[in-house]
Amino acid sequence: MEVLIQTLVSGLLIGGIYALIGIGMSLIMGVMKIINLAHGQLMMVAMYITYVLFEALGLDPYFSLFIAMPCLFVLGALIQKFLLNPLLKVDSILPENQVLMTVGVGMVLTEVIRFIFHSDYKSVKTSYSSSAIYMGEISFNVPMVAAFGLALVLTAALFFFLLKTDLGKSVRATAQNTDAALLMGINAQWITVLTYGLGSALVAAAGTLLLPIYYLFPDIGGPFTLKAFVITMLGGMGSTVGAILGGIVLGIAESLGATYISMMLKDAVAMVIFLLVLIFLPGGLKTLTKV
Amino acid sequence: MKSSLWPFLIVLALIALFPVAVTSEYYRHIFIISLMWVVIGSSWNLLAGYTGQVSFGHAIFFGTGAYTAGLCMTKLGISAWWGMLLGGPISLLVGLVIGWICFRLRGPYFALATIAIGEIFRLVTTDWRSLTEGMEGILIIQTFRSKLPYYYLAFGLAILCTFGIYRVMKSKWGYYFVAIREDQDVAEHIGISAFRYKSLSLMISSFFTGTAGAFYMNYMAFIDPHVVFSLHDISIMAILVAIIGGVGTMWGPAVGAFIMVWLQETFRSAFFGLMPRWVSEAHVLVFGLLVIFVIRYLANGIIGDWPKIKRLWSKDRELSYSSSGN
Amino acid sequence: MKKTLGLLACLAAIVGLLAPGVSAQETIKVGIILPLTGAQAAFGEIEKNSFEMALEEINAAGGIKGKKLELIFEDDTGKPEVARSAAEKLINKDKVVMLGGGYGSSETFAIAGVAQQSRMPFLVNTGSADKITEQKWDYVFRLNPPASDYPGGLESFLTEVVKPKTAAILYEDSNFGTSSSQSFEETCERLGIKVLVKEGYSKGGVDFKPLLVKVKQANPDLIYMISYVMDAALLMNQSMELRLMPKLFVGGGAGFTMPEFQKNAGKAANMVFSATLWYQTLPYPGAKEYFDKYVKKHGKETEYHGAEAHAAAVVIADTLKRAKSLSPDDLRQALSETDVKTVFGPVKFTAYEKMTNQNKLPTYLVQWIDGKLELVWPKDVASKPYVFPIDWEKIWK
Repeated sequence: MEVLIQTLVSGLLIGGIYALIGIGMSLIMGVMKIINLAHGQLMMVAMYITYVLFEALGLDPYFSLFIAMPCLFVLGALIQKFLLNPLLKVDSILPENQVLMTVGVGMVLTEVIRFIFHSDYKSVKTSYSSSAIYMGEISFNVPMVAAFGLALVLTAALFFFLLKTDLGKSVRATAQNTDAALLMGINAQWITVLTYGLGSALVAAAGTLLLPIYYLFPDIGGPFTLKAFVITMLGGMGSTVGAILGGIVLGIAESLGATYISMMLKDAVAMVIFLLVLIFLPGGLKTLTKV
Repeated sequence: MKSSLWPFLIVLALIALFPVAVTSEYYRHIFIISLMWVVIGSSWNLLAGYTGQVSFGHAIFFGTGAYTAGLCMTKLGISAWWGMLLGGPISLLVGLVIGWICFRLRGPYFALATIAIGEIFRLVTTDWRSLTEGMEGILIIQTFRSKLPYYYLAFGLAILCTFGIYRVMKSKWGYYFVAIREDQDVAEHIGISAFRYKSLSLMISSFFTGTAGAFYMNYMAFIDPHVVFSLHDISIMAILVAIIGGVGTMWGPAVGAFIMVWLQETFRSAFFGLMPRWVSEAHVLVFGLLVIFVIRYLANGIIGDWPKIKRLWSKDRELSYSSSGN
Repeated sequence: MKKTLGLLACLAAIVGLLAPGVSAQETIKVGIILPLTGAQAAFGEIEKNSFEMALEEINAAGGIKGKKLELIFEDDTGKPEVARSAAEKLINKDKVVMLGGGYGSSETFAIAGVAQQSRMPFLVNTGSADKITEQKWDYVFRLNPPASDYPGGLESFLTEVVKPKTAAILYEDSNFGTSSSQSFEETCERLGIKVLVKEGYSKGGVDFKPLLVKVKQANPDLIYMISYVMDAALLMNQSMELRLMPKLFVGGGAGFTMPEFQKNAGKAANMVFSATLWYQTLPYPGAKEYFDKYVKKHGKETEYHGAEAHAAAVVIADTLKRAKSLSPDDLRQALSETDVKTVFGPVKFTAYEKMTNQNKLPTYLVQWIDGKLELVWPKDVASKPYVFPIDWEKIWK
């Protein structure tokens, strides 16, 4: 019993971080209808920013949120403005041009970071990195609980932004129907730039929160990109609440897979679930299948 | 039409004569790898560039082919060369099953599904130690000491693959493929079974990719799941190779393959030792930048946008005295 | 006029750049393949630094038969196919007389294949999967003990001191991890230790708790882990968090001896044992001097990987000195007759068990005691007495 509970707790907590990774992707996919294959790489860049701030200024990772998130917002916005949006006008054979561009962007981000920091592992070791609260025999890792809480806060903030503000409504309008949004006088180009920036800032938060309990190296992005789109598909695109659910489901599925099947196959478990959702639960998918 | 064939024949002849002229095994090696990538890139191009199904999972077929060859040796006790015959068909079967699962999905969803299946293949082959030896990998001894047999084998395979695809694209199938790429619904309307022709395209594509994988096993003599089922180093590279050269063009992937392999090797070896060491750390970076540049400015790749490149060139020169040309 | 001057200046610059290459005295080139970038770059760096230190010493002492030794480093980026390309380049383009290096087992395999095929002597200094020297390849020699020997030093410690009844084995699913876990399982069987959990994991996991909680439930006396630095630190941190308290934690080499492990695991690293191949206080000539010099030069500590590299350079120089000529066959002959003392211990290539051209060395046990890595077993060479039994409650407080 203790094993099961601890497994579920671990899964839930890691799920919070996954949710934060997924939510940015969900937003981007919802509005732009593209898979952002540079998502994990953007997170990696944010982690390096946090790392540098920690090493150079001794800044606590939680404070770095206020620097890493705006930085990534700008980076994301620039990528959208100068690399992704211009592609809309380009005539090409494959409609997936933007997706392929994100592959290139991810690759260049990884390699630029590798060029500057080399490939070795870096880490940010804080006093609270391995502290835990205990309830009976069950342990709750403090930074993970904090990350979980912050994930909920950021999601709620995003939720209200989308629901209550004019700008948020424009984003949702663009997500639902770009052409109609255009007719309503919404500058869709600008909305996409904003959305990509927001998505990047959210994944920056995830990276920053992950850093105290993890480590980083330039290639860290890839696996998290995979997780991000799994979460997005699980939760349904463009849905903030869905992303939270998707993240938690993925976290728990992985944990259960690791405990009861094999640690080595836990990622395969996630992929199988993903495939099944993709094929048999196309409810969330319908909106995009107009390609 | 006839005259445009000449430059192509000359290139073929040059590649055929290359190992005779250049005796350095090192350069031959790079050529062999380039030729192998011609096969992988062209195969991906058939499915994605011509049929419009962007696969992020060609490592599945490459790895299946490589493991078929490897297992011939370790499990059946026969030469890994049998893999050259068996790798293709077995990859084709795998392709058939994957097509059956994934072709109900369209566009980006198809792409995502292939990523997922690729990862499943990699993880399962890593874990399934009794069959694959897991990460200990499969090691064989190369049959030939000289690179020449491998060179001509890779060359033959590349020719077979590109001409095979050329023939297919000139046939009725080719038109169906392109029709599906342009608009699947319209294609279905005029009576083309999208599922059937997408599967056909995938089967041909997986056959050649699998054979390339079997060649890799025989030539490199060592494989493990992370090498041959790699998402980044095989699946995504296959895509980038085709994009650089030109998606949906006959010779684009071939050109892209040579560019990718040579660019990476040139930088990895710091311009063959002529440049300072740090240059070598940029070996993937330069390629990535090229990818971004090509997607942004040459959407149809170097071959696809060749007229555009030529125009740019001539514009520079002619602009001074005939600016009103347009 | 200006243009010509500029051109001349350029030419002069180019000539200036090329000049050292032209005028330098003839050297003997040896190719060294290491992971200088990629996930294992930290190890590659320690090894490269050590190779270079040894090279300086060799050339300062007169080089080889009046010529200078030159090491050409190639980066395998931690990928077997790149390692192969690098080997091809060194052999065919740089015309090296022999090869050295080989860090990861898979990369070493790939290089060994090329070396054997091209009849080029190859001295492995780290790649440790048993299979590498089990192929009867006569051009491949290995200076370091194979993976199955890593826990050798641990074995007597277990039978004499700990006497565990049960064990759990956790390993990274790399080539080294898999083959090490296999051989440790055999060791356990031989010693009558029951293996309760044996499980691999993929590098890069964030959360090992589901795995560790399973181990906790099985409650083994001994947990043996084969992991690289960061995973090792995470495993220990999370074990501490879950209050997983076996009699002892033992690392199977690789990450557990690196200074970065201690840095990242903090107090969770305390009292953790690790199998090791080398320690600076061992009575090998030059071992301590090498260690001190390394610390002075690079500002951080070195460990067994560095010693392996230093020793490899010494063996290579010794071989080149003794060889009748620089032909591959003479070099191979000279290499097989090697009998030299290095900082890593005496080197002599023999055949034992299924292996050929294999150097046989004892292995040791180290323990992190209050932030310092100490040699604790065998007793007669220990730098500090071992701490056992361990009161985890007190240490993790």
